This record gives sequence, C-alpha cells and structure tokens, in this order.
Amino acid sequence: MHSKTLGWALLAPTLILLFFFGVVPFIYVLFVSFHQWNPFAVNPDMIFNWAENYRRVVFDAQFLASLGVTVAFVFFAVVSELIIGYALAQAFMRDFPGKAFFRTIHTLPLIMAPIIVGSIWKLMTTPSIGILPNILDDWFGFNLNIGQSALQAFTVTVIMDIWHWTPLVTLSLIAALVSLPPDPFEQAQIDGANKRQIFWHITLPMIRPAIIATVFIRLMDALRTVDEVLMLTGGGPGSATRYLGVHIFKEVFPRTNYGYGSAISVVVLYLTIVACWLLYVSLIAPRNTKKG
Amino acid sequence: MNIALKIGASALALSFAAGMATAQDDSFWKEAGAQFEGVTLRGVTEATPPSNYIKDVLAPQFEELTGIRVDIETTSWDQMYDKAIKDMEAGTGIYDMVYIEQDIVYAYLARDFLTDITGTLTEKPELKAPAFEESLLTSFAEFFRDDDGHLYGMPVEAFIKPYLYRTDLFSDPEIMAAFKEQTGRDLVPAKTHEEYTEIADFFTQWGKDHDMDLWGTTAQAHTGHAASWYEYFESVAPTFGVYNWGIDPENNYAATVENGGRMNSPEAKEALKWWLHLRDIAPPESVQSTWTEVATTFAAGRAAQGLVYGENAAWIASDENQSRVVGNVGVALPPLSDGVLEAAESGEGYLGYYDGGAFGVPVTSKNKDAALLFLQYIAQDELQADWALAGSRITNNATYDDPKVQALNEELGGYFDMLRDQGDLFGGAPAYPFHAQVREATAPIFYSILTGDIGPDEGLDQMAAKAEEELTSLGYRQ
Repeated sequence: MHSKTLGWALLAPTLILLFFFGVVPFIYVLFVSFHQWNPFAVNPDMIFNWAENYRRVVFDAQFLASLGVTVAFVFFAVVSELIIGYALAQAFMRDFPGKAFFRTIHTLPLIMAPIIVGSIWKLMTTPSIGILPNILDDWFGFNLNIGQSALQAFTVTVIMDIWHWTPLVTLSLIAALVSLPPDPFEQAQIDGANKRQIFWHITLPMIRPAIIATVFIRLMDALRTVDEVLMLTGGGPGSATRYLGVHIFKEVFPRTNYGYGSAISVVVLYLTIVACWLLYVSLIAPRNTKKG
Repeated sequence: MNIALKIGASALALSFAAGMATAQDDSFWKEAGAQFEGVTLRGVTEATPPSNYIKDVLAPQFEELTGIRVDIETTSWDQMYDKAIKDMEAGTGIYDMVYIEQDIVYAYLARDFLTDITGTLTEKPELKAPAFEESLLTSFAEFFRDDDGHLYGMPVEAFIKPYLYRTDLFSDPEIMAAFKEQTGRDLVPAKTHEEYTEIADFFTQWGKDHDMDLWGTTAQAHTGHAASWYEYFESVAPTFGVYNWGIDPENNYAATVENGGRMNSPEAKEALKWWLHLRDIAPPESVQSTWTEVATTFAAGRAAQGLVYGENAAWIASDENQSRVVGNVGVALPPLSDGVLEAAESGEGYLGYYDGGAFGVPVTSKNKDAALLFLQYIAQDELQADWALAGSRITNNATYDDPKVQALNEELGGYFDMLRDQGDLFGGAPAYPFHAQVREATAPIFYSILTGDIGPDEGLDQMAAKAEEELTSLGYRQ
C-alpha cells in the first residue's frame, strides 16, 4: 500500500503536466472542431455547427491531396531511414579508423532544430547559388529546381528528412544490436547458417521490438512534419509538398480558420492512431498470439 | 556688429537653443520613464532593415534615456503575424507592441485589437512628449487612422515598390547600340509593358550570348509562398488597371466578372500572362524567390531591371558589403497600361504598391503607457535621418530635407523624391478585414497556375470563384 501511494506520488507531477499540456489542449481542440470560428469573419464568435467541419474534411479535395502526398512522404522517408539506419548501425558495430569521429558527425543533424535544417537545405538547393544544383549541373547536366519540379521538391523533402532523422534510427538500432546475446549467433554459425539466414532468422526477430518502437516514433514525427518543409518549399511547388502539417498550419494560422483547422487536426490524430494500431496488429500482435 | 560677429552670435544662440531643447526633451524622457521603473516592453516585428534598426539602435537609446527596457523580437513575416494575432486573440498580453502592416490594420481595427494612440494621449497629457506631434508624420499615417481620424499605429516604415534598373547597363554604349539595332528604339527605362518585355527579353538573351549571369528582369514568383500572390495582385495587376485584387467592395464583394468583379477580367488575365512570361526569362531562382530574394538577386547584379520593394533600395544602392550594383541603380515608375497613370492621378486607381507598417499597442498589453512613450520616442524628427539611411524608409515629413537623406537620394537615383512626390500614385493593400483569409483561400490555385498545372485563364476563373466562396463563408458577401 505504501509503495503504491509512493508510486502515484512520484507519477503525479508527470500526470499533472500531461493533463494540462496534453489532455486539456486536446479537449479544447476537439471542442473547437465542432464550431465555425474565424475571428476575421463578419461574426467572429464561435458558432456550434455540429459535425459540419468533419463532413467538409471528407470532401475537401485539398485535404485529400495533402493526405496523399503525406502518405507517400512518410512511406519513402521512414522506410529509407530504417534501411539506411540499420546499415549504418551495422557499420558502427565494427571497428574502423575514425569510427568515433564519423559517429559524432553522423549524429550532428539530430541536434539541429527543424527550421535550421530547412534553412540549410534551402540554401543548398536554391538554383544558381546552391551547392546541389551547381554540382548536379556541372557533373551530370541535371537541372535541379525544386521551385519548379514537383517530383524534385518531393524527393528533396524526403532526402532532407532522411538526412535529419536517420541518426535517430541508427542510434536506436545500435543500442538494440549491442544488447543482443552472442550465443544464438555462435550456434547459428556452428549450424552452418549464412549471413542472410542469420539476419532474417536471428537478428531481425531479436531487434524487432526496437525496430517497431523506432518506426512508431518516426511515423508519428513524419506525419506532423511542418517547419522543415515550410522553410524549404512553403508546401510548393503548387501543392506538391503541402503535407498535412503544412496544410493545417496554413489553414489555422494565416487563414485563421480555427474550427475547420481543428477538425483536420483531430482527423489527422485519428489517422495516426489507426496507422500505429495497424502497424502493431500486423507486426507485434501475431507474434504474441503465437506465443500464447 | 559686423557680419561675421552676427553669424557667430546667431550660431551660438542656435546651438544654445538646440542644447536647451535637447536637455528639455531628455528631461521629459527621464521623468516620464521614472514612473515605469523595472518595466520591460516586448515587441514583435518582421526582420526587415527598418525593424532591425529599432531593435539595435532605437531600443537601446530609449532604455538608456528612460530606464525602460525594450525587447524587440524580429522574426519572419508569417511568424510575426502568427505570434501577434494569437497573443491578441487569446488576450495573453505578452506583447506590448506589434508590427501592423498596412494591409492588416483594417482587420485589427475591426477586431478592436489596438489601443487608440490619439485618444490615450489626449486623455493622459502627462504621457505626451513635447517633441511629438501627429502632424510630423507623412500622409502614410492616414492608413492607420480610424473613421474619426484617431491614430492606432505609429508608422515605422513606408516604401513604394518602384521599377529599379541598372544604370551601368542602360548606359553601356555597346549594349545601347545592340538594343537599338535589335529593336529600333533607344534603351531607356520602359513606360509600357511591351517595352519592359522587350528590354527583359533583350538582356536575358544578352546574358546567354555573353556567358554572363545576367537576366532581363526579376520575378517574385515563389511557387509555395504568398510573395508571388502579392507580386501579381498588388504590383502587376494594378499596372493593367485591375485594382483591389479585382474585388469590388461596392458591389457585394464581387470577384468574378459574371457578378461584377474583375479578378478574372481580360485585363487580369493579360497581366498574369505578361508576368508569367517575365518569370520564364528571369533568373532560375525566381521560382523560389520572395521579396527578400528578389532584392538579393538584383543586388547580386543578376537582373537588369525589376520591381523591387523600396525597403531594400538603400542597401542595394549604397552598401558595398551586400551589393554589387552600388552606384548603378536607377529608379522609375513601373510600366503601365494606357489610362492607368491618369486613373492614379485622379485618385480612381493606383499604379503599384505602397507598403509599410506601424507599431501599434495591443489593448491586451500590460504596459500600454510605457509603450506609448516608446512609440513617441521613435517618431521624433531628429531620429529619422539615420533610420532612413539604414532602412530606406521615411515616415516623417521633415526627413526628406535632411542633408544625409538628400545625399542618399542621389545614390538611389531619386527614390526618396519619388516617394515624396509620386508616392500618392501608389496604393497600399485594399482596406479589407479579410486580407489573409482570401489570400490563403485562393493561393493554392495561384501556385498551380505557376507550376503550369492550370492555365492562367482557367486559374483566374477558379480563383475568382473561390474568393467569392470564401467571402460568402466569412459573411462579407451575401
């Protein structure tokens, strides 16, 4: 009883903070989402309009377009980060000259604020003065202009996200790889398993919890990307990189469409939860069921 | 008494009088500041040369004189609005001063966000600085008054968006001869859109032929930022006679031609096609250029001519650390369609963009009186000249006559003269309280026009319809 009370007491500060900074704002956003509210309308008051905002979301071509490019962005970014992050983690498990140096350099993007990352990439990709368009033009005759080409803009935002967040994946997977016991690997080698078999049947299953956790984190982060993209492309060209976070930002802040913007935010939160649940069901639940 | 003695005595008397005046002014600020001991004023503004001057020079001076600390937060244009509106809407009172761009003041007044400067200083004469009079301000201050003539914002920057051109290129004999041979006319700044296009085409080709990083024009044509929307609606369309974004407030806020608006009128479509052609022959960075990058492009010597925000004119023309075209900048009125100049002179139209901003005090501020002191401080005549040099902005009438400003005016090719004498021909943003809302509602379509996903005619039709839809949703259009 005593330890239970102590436990709650220790948890209390966190729970209180979470309640005020997580639960209360969410309830407020949910409340606003059922209202028509634009402070610069003729009537600037909040007007309850039932689920009209949610009905509008479903038929909003701009929202659906944003959803589409966001799904593509998340897929390419997270999958690439996972693959590159794993390869780097394996590389850092081995000894090579300058390993400590490269490991430090490799993690530097993580400590940068997203808005700085966006600025750096904007400088690097601006036609004529940016290093990337110049190099690509000089070496390959390739014209990089992300203000003009939707595909290029999309690709660069994905690469920027990979550059920024792959170190997180690498560090998570290094931690997982370091903690693996050596016995299963030695036994597999004795049994004659090759590297590919060891990877598929031993390494991957053993680090799966770490992979799932990392994918959850990256999935949620990628779905709410705003600052980097806003700085780099502003959501353009056209709506090519108007990801959900950018779309919500433009709807809520410059357009001050608070009611509708809140509804989109709630829908995006719901979709994020569903995506994570699907991931959980498809990757973790079957394994637990088999065990049971 | 001989002449020399008289002059000497007069100079001494003037110096004494000036010294006394300064001492009196100083004593006012010290006494007025004493009652606000320990107060820190917080302001938010866009990071522009004039605002940076307030932050770096005027705020520390004021603090030294009054003891009132002033923290000015300079940030991006979008962030500035985001922070200011959220603060005023929620009533948190974080900011004591907010930057009010001329195009948002009507929205702020409609929401009663701002403190009445005229009214407060009348009610509290002890706050009124002896050196401050509203009559010191230029006519730009009129944009920040309500229907009763009360001032709600102290102007801090005011500029027009003129047509800048490279005098070195326009007076180069080889170039002049080549232009004459190609076009049959002299190379002089364009007065019509056709002439402008001709010059732009010529210089872009000249740059290619001579392997130079030179193009015929700038274009503020970002494909995902509101800067491109603004360049078209507030700088280009008016020169074709399409004013106020093509929305008619007198006609139920109609935007479509069908309902009496002009957003998708033949003139608007012609203007857009003209500008899109310029975008195509502008430097490649233009599709990622906002107002800042356009100034940088011109300063880097990459464009022969362009429409450039005047707030950048001073550093482009005079700062060798930032500009490669120092001493080579000419200024002219933008190219115009027939009848537009006459319409501007008669007050029925305007021929380009006049912008700027003021510092206002939110009604939610917890330090309104101290903030009003600061606003009066920065409005003093004697502080204006150096501020004009730093930010090419003038908001007080007397500043035009200052010798330092006159000297810079020469370097700027007469920009300040144009601001003073022809500034009235330019127009600010229309007096709409739904400024950002209509812009953001229509901007995605505009960006699609820029990327070529929608044609300019069809795109403007869609934008006009979307504008009406948004105005109906906001309750302005019945």
